[in-house]
Amino acid sequence: MKNLSPLDKAAAAVMLVVAGLIVVVILFAGQAGVRVTASNFEGGLIGPLQIITLTFSEPVDPAMAESLLDIQPSMEGTFLWVDSRTLQFASALPFELGTVYELTLRSGILSQDQHELKHDISWDFQVRPPLVAYLNTQNQQSSIWVTDLSAAKSRPLTDESVKVIGFDSSRDGEFIIFYSTNTQGGIDLWRVNRAGNDMAVLMDCGRDRCTAPAISPDGLRVAYSRELAGPGPDLPYGSPRVWVLDLQSGQNAPVYEDQQVLGYNPTWSPSGTQLASYDGLADQIRLLDMESGSQYIFPSNTGGPMTWSPDGTKFLFTEADQSEAGVRTLVRMADLALNDSYILIGSEDDMDYGYHSMIWSPVDASAVLLGMRAGGDDPSQVFWLFNPGLLDGVIIADQPDYAYNSPHWDVWGDSLVFQQFKLKGSYKPEIGVWSSGMSESRVIAEGLMPYWLP
Amino acid sequence: MAVVVLLLVVSSMLPVSVFTWLWDRLNVFATVFLGIFVEAVPYLLLGTLASGLVEIFLDRDQMSKWVSHRPVAAAVGGAFMGMIFPVCECGVVPLTRRLFHKGMPLSAGIAFLLAAPVLNPIVVLSTAAAFGWGQMLFWRMAVSLVIAVVVGLVFSVEKDAANVLRPVMTMEHEHQHDLPKTFAEKIRAALLIAADEFFEMGRYLIIGAALAAGLQTFVAQSVLLSISSGPVLPVLVMLGLAVLLSICSTVDAFVALGFIGTFSFGSVLSFLVFGPMVDIKSIIMYSQVFRKRAVSYLVIIPFLMSLLAGILFNFVRP
Repeated sequence: MKNLSPLDKAAAAVMLVVAGLIVVVILFAGQAGVRVTASNFEGGLIGPLQIITLTFSEPVDPAMAESLLDIQPSMEGTFLWVDSRTLQFASALPFELGTVYELTLRSGILSQDQHELKHDISWDFQVRPPLVAYLNTQNQQSSIWVTDLSAAKSRPLTDESVKVIGFDSSRDGEFIIFYSTNTQGGIDLWRVNRAGNDMAVLMDCGRDRCTAPAISPDGLRVAYSRELAGPGPDLPYGSPRVWVLDLQSGQNAPVYEDQQVLGYNPTWSPSGTQLASYDGLADQIRLLDMESGSQYIFPSNTGGPMTWSPDGTKFLFTEADQSEAGVRTLVRMADLALNDSYILIGSEDDMDYGYHSMIWSPVDASAVLLGMRAGGDDPSQVFWLFNPGLLDGVIIADQPDYAYNSPHWDVWGDSLVFQQFKLKGSYKPEIGVWSSGMSESRVIAEGLMPYWLP
Repeated sequence: MAVVVLLLVVSSMLPVSVFTWLWDRLNVFATVFLGIFVEAVPYLLLGTLASGLVEIFLDRDQMSKWVSHRPVAAAVGGAFMGMIFPVCECGVVPLTRRLFHKGMPLSAGIAFLLAAPVLNPIVVLSTAAAFGWGQMLFWRMAVSLVIAVVVGLVFSVEKDAANVLRPVMTMEHEHQHDLPKTFAEKIRAALLIAADEFFEMGRYLIIGAALAAGLQTFVAQSVLLSISSGPVLPVLVMLGLAVLLSICSTVDAFVALGFIGTFSFGSVLSFLVFGPMVDIKSIIMYSQVFRKRAVSYLVIIPFLMSLLAGILFNFVRP
């Protein structure tokens, strides 16, 4: 020790202390057993469709871990193991707004080599209030804004410098994909998250026009219409075709190899396994099963809206029928099991009701919202909420001289958000909200094309 | 010739699937390697350019007078001085050597030596670019600061710098030739230093990126996962990687990002803290400035403290 300098002694002391602390921590950690953290519980609030992720400090047995997990109030769902340490739980139905959930992992053996969780761990969480995203076109801008339902907290989501043409929101409300004109005259796809802090070009389409994005229910793919630019600046664009962009791998390709198959307004089935689009050249809705590759074709001459039943076995679409009595807009029900469609509404109509803006509840097969003319010579429109099995329902929006469109259900099938516009005079489009139990809708903002951000 | 013939014969006996697999792996390797390299190169360029400008335009004599000679204040001041020098672990060694020569206390110089590669603005920006302005950035800076100050305080007990520093010290920087006089000459000299340092560091970046890409391509995730179980072993693995890869601190965050998901937060943090302080090339450079015992303390104490931090974070945040 006599040969040790002050530096040696100080260094040895520090090294001994740190080594001792390491031993203490290791012993303490060993006594503590398996440790678990839950992610994505920011402030105890989650999205209603959010996947809950648990991370274990070491590999665990899936069956043992799942047997110790409990959620109250009880929620059915599926477990997915990302790896032997990471468990994800996807609820079958959206978590309910206003309910406090308690996720508990009970103490017990978690692996075959007897590693155990020594104490119960619980996490409390509840669903965050939903937002509504809409297009704000005031003051020469065309930006996406978001607001809560009280309309007290409106804020821009995109920069004013980027003129948004249209957009779609992901089912879980975490991000939006919109399209905007670029400097080459083409139209690009952009992506922005719920907080609005990562706006960026998702797909630089050059001189091509990439429009009508539709985000798959799992949020991993985007279907969109793409019109290829002509070989010269003055030459016309090609016809629209449907493409799919994989958001994880970046793979981007037309859905149909046959260049004669056109398509726009792509729409995903609720399961995300089927993709429908309208081929205006062949006057048909073409539906592709992305897993099996099988196709279904339903004649339609409107290219109008189509909407899926909650279980994805049926969908509704419109068709224009020319007869001696004049043009009649019909609503047809397509049944995938039968690979056929039939007229649901309109065959007996004494006038053209101009059915439009259909949207099927995401959870209730007996609730479809349909936009239609009020009747007679009145250009006003109404929203009719009806049961497609019984063909009876209620009018939920029918202000005189108003037109309604762009409706969307929230994830619970309880509330609708839509666009309304007064036809006579000079008025700005408004965003309306209607919830079950409300006698009439209410306005929450001035704007266009509303979407829910749950 | 015989070797080539032998290789051809052996390869002709292998099934086609082996070549297909190898080709696929090579494609993945190239993609990962280019991803790391292309993302890192701008930061390396920025760091070396700033380093050249600092070398030419900053008056070190004046700066050394600003540093306190009280141990704690000197160690803390030295560590925070790292925030204004955009140098990584290679550039900081000759700079520290020069500061010692100008009269900087041991504690301040050692703290600066260990802290500057992490706390400098280029590394802060590159870490933020890789991990965001979040916990990884904060804890990387905080833990590095603590280690730098502690090691600086340890060295503060040594009153005679000659017991720590090697007796033969070349005071002239390797890039320094005749002192430039005009502004244009200074700029030219700064760019020359930056270019030299860029190509020198670029070699380490390429090797580091290739090793990281190779690990990600050819080592199955399940193998890494088996290593990454438990609170201690993954930290030791990442500390070993930090030394072996010897990646410049201005770009190591992008390499570390590739390990997130496979290794725990604490393990990756220990990689980001320890790597800029100690790696193969810095150990070699330390040996040119410090005596052997001092070098061993510069390696062992940060190693133990990084290990402690990694294990603690693995415990708190699996």
